[in-house]
Amino acid sequence: MATLRGAASLPKIIRPFIARRGLSATAVLSNWNKDWKPGPFPKTPEERAAAAKRYGLRVEDYNVYPDDGMGYGDYPKLPFASGDSKDPYEDWDIPELKRNYGEPLHALADIIGEDRWDANANPRYSYLDMFLTLAGFLTTITVIYILTLPYPLFLPVMPKQYPFNDLYVENGGSPETEPSIRHYTFEAVEETD
Amino acid sequence: MGNVMYAYITHPDTAPDFTKPPTFDPHVGFPNGRKERTIQATREELDAAGVPLDRRDYCVDYFLKLLRCRDQNFPRTVSSCHHEKHDYEVCQYEDYVLRMKEYEREKRLKEREKRIQEMQENEELGD
Repeated sequence: MATLRGAASLPKIIRPFIARRGLSATAVLSNWNKDWKPGPFPKTPEERAAAAKRYGLRVEDYNVYPDDGMGYGDYPKLPFASGDSKDPYEDWDIPELKRNYGEPLHALADIIGEDRWDANANPRYSYLDMFLTLAGFLTTITVIYILTLPYPLFLPVMPKQYPFNDLYVENGGSPETEPSIRHYTFEAVEETD
Repeated sequence: MGNVMYAYITHPDTAPDFTKPPTFDPHVGFPNGRKERTIQATREELDAAGVPLDRRDYCVDYFLKLLRCRDQNFPRTVSSCHHEKHDYEVCQYEDYVLRMKEYEREKRLKEREKRIQEMQENEELGD
């Protein structure tokens, strides 16, 4: 009986949740992509403080891209640090991305990930050195190849012999001009008296 | 690759040209001449059997035997024809040995020609 009484009062409990649920309060509309778009370029110190708070930064850490038409509105200008330059032993919340929860992403985060471009690489040899080394190696090989072109490696054999006058007609020669080519074994003809 | 050293560095004047057939008379050194290489198959037979041009060498008789054996023993073409295949491969090997012998013969005849020429020049100088 108690179960039935509870079932009878259930509509009274959930009705407000259904009735008051407008379209603007749904999970879809409150997470639409326009809600993730950066705001307009901040001009006053108050706007800067509001923007810094929006992105979870302190005001003194907050820097912004110049508003020259190619900027990102109030999106913060973060240090240009790719994945390889971040400490692998730090206790990241998301170790795969070396990122903490709620941490703002760089505007170019899709290209400076660990799987893409290491923007802060400090190679042992400069890129010019690397290019010159490769170019020098390839040039040396090419020069050796060109210089030794007139001297092919070969095995000590004469050309293969074919019957029917070295297949003269078979290879497109005219039967009228067919030469008579004879090939011989290394067996001597025995003397016949 | 001693032949390459011989041809390009030590004896470029007496090295045979491996791209052209022998230049000397094939019967030099054989009082009654040498036996001629022959095949039994005729052009018509080869055309009828559809033998490709690169197989029409002096081993084509063995190749025709192999084709015939494969035809008669299909589908056991490997187990039933390995003797014919071996004969054909031995023939190809011996053909290659003959080409090596021709190269060596050409090389020695060229050296001999050069030796005789030098002897004649020395005699002329001595007179």
